[in-house]
Amino acid sequence: MRNGGENRSRLLLIILLVTSLFLITLDLRGVKVIEGFKSGTQSALTPVQEVGSIISAPFRNFFSDITHLGRTRNEIAKLKADNDALRTTLLARKSADAELGQLKSVLDLAGTAGYKILNAKVISQGASTSFTQSIIIDAGTNSGIRANMSVISGFGLVGVVKFAYPNSSLVALASDPSFKVGARIAGSQQIGILEGQGSRYGVLQLLDNQTNVKKGDVILARGSMGNSPFVPGVPIGEVTAVENTAGAVTQTADVKFYVNFSALSVVAVVIKAPVTDPRDALVPPKPIPTPVPTVTIYRLPGDTATVVASPSPSPSKSK
Amino acid sequence: MLTRKFFLSMPLFLVVFLLQEALVNQVHLPLSGFSLLLILALMWAAISPPEVGAMTGFGVGILMDLSQSSGGPIGQWTLVMILVGFSIAFLGYGDDNLRANPMSIIFLVSIGVVAAEVLYLVIGLLLGMEIGTTFDVLATIFGAGLWSAIISPLMVPIVSRIHAAIFEGSNRP
Repeated sequence: MRNGGENRSRLLLIILLVTSLFLITLDLRGVKVIEGFKSGTQSALTPVQEVGSIISAPFRNFFSDITHLGRTRNEIAKLKADNDALRTTLLARKSADAELGQLKSVLDLAGTAGYKILNAKVISQGASTSFTQSIIIDAGTNSGIRANMSVISGFGLVGVVKFAYPNSSLVALASDPSFKVGARIAGSQQIGILEGQGSRYGVLQLLDNQTNVKKGDVILARGSMGNSPFVPGVPIGEVTAVENTAGAVTQTADVKFYVNFSALSVVAVVIKAPVTDPRDALVPPKPIPTPVPTVTIYRLPGDTATVVASPSPSPSKSK
Repeated sequence: MLTRKFFLSMPLFLVVFLLQEALVNQVHLPLSGFSLLLILALMWAAISPPEVGAMTGFGVGILMDLSQSSGGPIGQWTLVMILVGFSIAFLGYGDDNLRANPMSIIFLVSIGVVAAEVLYLVIGLLLGMEIGTTFDVLATIFGAGLWSAIISPLMVPIVSRIHAAIFEGSNRP
């Protein structure tokens, strides 16, 4: 009886394992039925995710807010004292304001380059327990979105549409380890391939070892043939480190993406690319350092204190 | 009989799957967050016979494969979950001391989650999946184990009660 039970258990295990291997084979061979299942599930999940997005909006960035608490503690204390009565209203509007800001910046970017875009809201952040980096947006084929369209935010390239469903789309983020994009250094035509690494940093592999790349260089998307999957000129990130290995066939550089992938709420899908390449028009301006006025007090013998305002810090002349 | 009980438990997994996709995936958690469905499935397997563990793994694996956040082909999570679900259930099968101790279940589930992530990674590598930097992979695996250890104690009483209700109290820890 016991042996019978064990045999049945083994048989069940084997059947289930074979079924799973069969499913993997079918999916890897691109059988439409399997794709249909996934598409159908996503279509059914989209309304639920939209509701979830609304519910989770107040606490979505709870943990990242906590990590920045020390930096803003004084400011928070002041705000609390001043705006206790308005705090509830402010919290409710915080999410909407952030989305509005992102929407404005993405419109500015798209307008400069002449991209025809479609705005979409992020309704789900894919779990990275599957070692992938993705988001789901609330616009799909019904809105004109197709697979292999570029997705941007106000800061630059977010990723590319991997699958488009009727009312939602899966976007592979630029930080995804399988993500690769042809890139060039702004101001030159030096080209390379940028790969995601699963984090905020990517690796740029330059095709020419003689290329002169340095820290701070801006990396732009080179664009694909027919502007799919990538439209040209979209800012991707900034070089943070260059690896020069003697004798290496190619040169590599670490690139920090402009986009903060964990704080995306509104993105834009590029429906149509401009007729002409925007070249370096989208390179973000360098921050201009603001002079900080300082006050130096000179104490002269037999005189009262003299206060002199100067626009920059000066060597310590005070005694 | 077991098959009927297994199908009775499926609505629970469906609800948790919806919860995972609609809410848990929305929150930006440190260390890659956690999968509520994975934790629930392994906890269910830990207090069930091996057949139920394997069938639970199969059902949950299919759901995880259908999730858009799953980067691999359909069947990859299914394969992983069948193996891990069966193994966890097999380890606890017949050992009443283990099943009666919530700490053992939490430990089993946390180890199971880490094992599932590693197995998924290995199968993914064999299928040509890109996995990113070693640091990120290790952080994800460590995070999954840590989150499981945090979430599991909250789930044990609820899951064991529902399990006992479906399985008529015969396997209650």
